[in-house]
Amino acid sequence: MNSISSLKNVHKLGLYGDHNDKNENQIIKIKEIKNINLFQVVKYKNTEKNISNFKIDGLNLPNANKTSSNPSTRIIWMGPDNWFVFSSKDTRENLNNFKETDFAITDLSHSRSIIELEGEMIYEVLKKGSPLDVGKLKEGNCANTVYNGITITLDFISNDPNTIRIFGLRSFGESLYHSLTDSCLEFGYKSI
Amino acid sequence: MLYIKCPFCGMRSQNEFAYGGDASVKRPELNKDVSDKEWDDFVYNRKSLRGKHIELWHHVSGCRQWFKAQRDTATHEIFKTAMMNEEI
Repeated sequence: MNSISSLKNVHKLGLYGDHNDKNENQIIKIKEIKNINLFQVVKYKNTEKNISNFKIDGLNLPNANKTSSNPSTRIIWMGPDNWFVFSSKDTRENLNNFKETDFAITDLSHSRSIIELEGEMIYEVLKKGSPLDVGKLKEGNCANTVYNGITITLDFISNDPNTIRIFGLRSFGESLYHSLTDSCLEFGYKSI
Repeated sequence: MLYIKCPFCGMRSQNEFAYGGDASVKRPELNKDVSDKEWDDFVYNRKSLRGKHIELWHHVSGCRQWFKAQRDTATHEIFKTAMMNEEI
């Protein structure tokens, strides 16, 4: 898939902020994630299907505030009976056993701006704009919250090095990018 | 700032929530003759109690679910939260 970047006017590669006299590992890296399939899976309230019997690309649908992942697919919990499935593969084949009488499947591939932050100080960047207690959250967790008033979803990808993906509605993408990069200036960041 | 325990996501800041009003208000039954006073009471008239109050909250920047909360309107202490199909 080849999608149009929602951040192409703001995401300019280079070094910014207080990056002098710091090595690559001490600054924050910011990356736009694009060309990824995103499907929303919602289980209808009146269905009696047990979600433990359903798998997507070999992954179970995760419980509250959790994610499940393999190298090609990542599933994050968005709310009760509501998940986002991100995949570099064509996910439609994996969703064939989700019957339309039991589940609503929606292609949201172009609906989100996805910004990935990597670096030691990214938790400090989150604390500047979000009321969430991010210190408790680790690899494999996810959370919906706000960042400077913008509704976002956080996906904690890794703790070594600290890596977080931040999803915002596409129309808020540029504002979210500016908010995040303003918060990163103090630590120095590299757009990659 | 209030901290509210969403029954689905756990303890979160009030910034993520929207207030939804009195949870004890009941809609008049369908297909029944309803007087103007009953409609007024349903749509507009609220008791605005001081003390323990059951109210609706929406976790609008979280799991997008509505739930009930028992809150003291004088102290803002939140005693309990519950899903919509639970009694509080």
